[in-house]
Amino acid sequence: VRRYVARRVAALVATLLFVSALVFVVVRVLPGDPAALIMGTEGSREAAERLREAMGLNRPLAVQYVEWLAGALRGDLGRSIQYDVPVGQLILTRLPVTLPLALLAAAFMVVVAVPLGVYAATRHRRAGDYVAMIVSQLGISIPQFWSGLLLILLFSVTLGWVRSGGFDGWSAGAWPALRALLLPAVALGFFQAAVLVRATRSAVLDVLREDYVRTARAKGLHGRRVVLVHAFRNALIPIVTVAGLQLGQLVAGAIVLESVFALPGLGRLALGAIGARDLPVVQGVALFVASCIVVINFAVDVAYGFLDPRIRHEAS
Amino acid sequence: MMPRTLVALLCAALAVAAAGGASAQPQALVLQAAVEPPGLDLTATPASATAGVVLYNVQECLVKVDRTGKLVPWLAERWHTADNRNYTFFLKRGVRFHNGRELKAADVKYVFDRAMNPETKHPYPRDYDAIGDIIVRDEATITFALKSVNANFLHNLARQGSVIYPREAVETMKSHPIGTGPFRFEEWVRGDRIVLVRNRDYHVKGLPKLDRVTYRFMPDPNAVLAALKAGDVDASLFGLGPEHVQDVQKDPRFTVIVGDTTNDVILAMNNSRKPYTDVRVRRAVTHGINKADVLKGAMFGLGKILGSNVDPLNPYYVDMSKAVPFDPARARKLLAEAGYPNGFDTVLKVAPQYYYTVRSGEVIAENLKKVGVNVKLEQIEWGQWLSRVFRESDFDLTIIGHAEAWDVKNYANPKYYFRYDSAKFQELFAKSEVTLDDKARGALFAQMQKLMAEDAPVVWLYMHPRLAVAKKGLTGFWKDLPVPSADLSEVGWTAAR
Repeated sequence: VRRYVARRVAALVATLLFVSALVFVVVRVLPGDPAALIMGTEGSREAAERLREAMGLNRPLAVQYVEWLAGALRGDLGRSIQYDVPVGQLILTRLPVTLPLALLAAAFMVVVAVPLGVYAATRHRRAGDYVAMIVSQLGISIPQFWSGLLLILLFSVTLGWVRSGGFDGWSAGAWPALRALLLPAVALGFFQAAVLVRATRSAVLDVLREDYVRTARAKGLHGRRVVLVHAFRNALIPIVTVAGLQLGQLVAGAIVLESVFALPGLGRLALGAIGARDLPVVQGVALFVASCIVVINFAVDVAYGFLDPRIRHEAS
Repeated sequence: MMPRTLVALLCAALAVAAAGGASAQPQALVLQAAVEPPGLDLTATPASATAGVVLYNVQECLVKVDRTGKLVPWLAERWHTADNRNYTFFLKRGVRFHNGRELKAADVKYVFDRAMNPETKHPYPRDYDAIGDIIVRDEATITFALKSVNANFLHNLARQGSVIYPREAVETMKSHPIGTGPFRFEEWVRGDRIVLVRNRDYHVKGLPKLDRVTYRFMPDPNAVLAALKAGDVDASLFGLGPEHVQDVQKDPRFTVIVGDTTNDVILAMNNSRKPYTDVRVRRAVTHGINKADVLKGAMFGLGKILGSNVDPLNPYYVDMSKAVPFDPARARKLLAEAGYPNGFDTVLKVAPQYYYTVRSGEVIAENLKKVGVNVKLEQIEWGQWLSRVFRESDFDLTIIGHAEAWDVKNYANPKYYFRYDSAKFQELFAKSEVTLDDKARGALFAQMQKLMAEDAPVVWLYMHPRLAVAKKGLTGFWKDLPVPSADLSEVGWTAAR
């Protein structure tokens, strides 16, 4: 097991290095110069040139990369061009929005999708199955910004139950903060849940066709017990895989929804930074998100070992 | 213990929630802003998002452009000049910065010395080119000695780059601006809001009317509309899309403000690139465009059709909108004369960040097809637009709004991105810069506008309207925007509320 974990960790580090280099090069190859963006159409050309100098953008790319990487290893991601504060600090101030949002959405996704998927599998080709599949199809087809707006229209404008957007921070209390995140989390989780329902359904269906399930049934075990105890655990591997991937996508989805709900999260930070060519922030956020996804995948890999002893034994 | 803490927390949360709906208090205002300022230092960024928060609210200038576009004394209560070369300003007494210190003439000298120093990376160093020397006479008197007569000098002192701040705030202005304005900066929660509070020592008695102003950053126009209707924001000064105007006008809870701005939306042609080097082609393109259609398609008919780069808020404005009218037959004839009887292919680059450029472009492409010019619409991102189109002049056609007041000066700069190079225009403009007599200056501006229409270096499409919406009961907003400011000093709720 230790070897298995060690190999995973090495792969994790290599992936992160590759991602960091890729992000660094891509944001710099993009046409568009941060100094020109800051100065816009009204600042003078000379002023933009002086700003370029001051930001150190005239130095060779390799030098800039090595400096940035060395800083990143020490936990220093540089300073934001727009806000003039350390990037690490900026990410930390946005996390209390994006992280709970992603977790709430993930919770919503799992709580809705897994039972619905199992239910659909047990009702294969019957009314319950079809209804579940139609709901899932809707979830996949409706763009997130649209479902977000519909939710705002219903719950804020018509019913007036929750605020239409914005986030006052956790210092204003846990309940108002959670309330502000509820609608976006549902909008965000809905799409992901729709995908996960399908994955769960087909995974459970596959297992239900296995011989040992037939054996269990033949033994006279209760249908619910067969599904929940015997089939479900073995169906978990594909479900966990998909859920892990979905978790990464939640962060990407947050970029859109944070704009719709005016939430000061990581996604909007990244979007604004790309538009303003705030290179240190783009790099910092991309590296951070990539790290999260890599860590989630790592956790999924490790979870396989627990779910399926065969994987554990093969590796060691 | 735990449950009790939780209950206490919940109670506190509820109390905050009950008190926190800022719009429920009469003298607080929640404003929507589409774009978060990149920083709050007006001497470091030309961003209009920054001016929308800071200019005239937190920081002020020696002179001010009022809501009608007139120049009025402000931190300087009067000024005097005998020769149009030496201007002496007499500062208003007893004006205090938000840090409590009194404004002195030495502060003014410091601000302009710093603006003129290239090391400080001021965005508008050119505005102060005319200044030769700044002499502090006494604590409240200061003289600017100009190198030569300059007609824009006073106006430049009212611009966003000329705000007066205390020397000790220089390092922190990017995140915490200090000035003499009606509101003091309270907090900036990055990505979410900026809060200003009333300056109790404001030097204008009775102002401001509001105790607290919160700018909320909401980029999505549909979400803005929802927030207005849900009562989460009280007003949107720049975020109302023209497509929503009718809908909001019908709603008795709101007042819609449609006003003028200095934002001229133009179809720029690259005057240094064929076929636009030929004035006949440029005139043909102008004749080929139905500006009324463009205005309808892009702005739902709101705004004003333009015929030159002098906007209706300018005192020297002459209506040139009919000088080169929509006339497809004439356009085809001019193209044939210029050697393009079958028209030509061209690329129009637009940045969808400004949605009106795309909408205008679609109508223009349709218009020009009918006179034989095949326009390929290419959407590029704003960062690319700035470096490729604006800096390198790598384009055939492009659409953009020029928001600055008095920006005819760009047509006298042959290196400006559309590369209009007319010795005659440059001469007229130079003369207008040193002509102080109002009538003579007006005559020069009239000549410039006529020449612009004849030379057709760009197609002036329309003035971007000022579209704002506020809850009924809110008064005091500016209708027109002669400067990119959201002056809130006179805004307040009527008692009826």
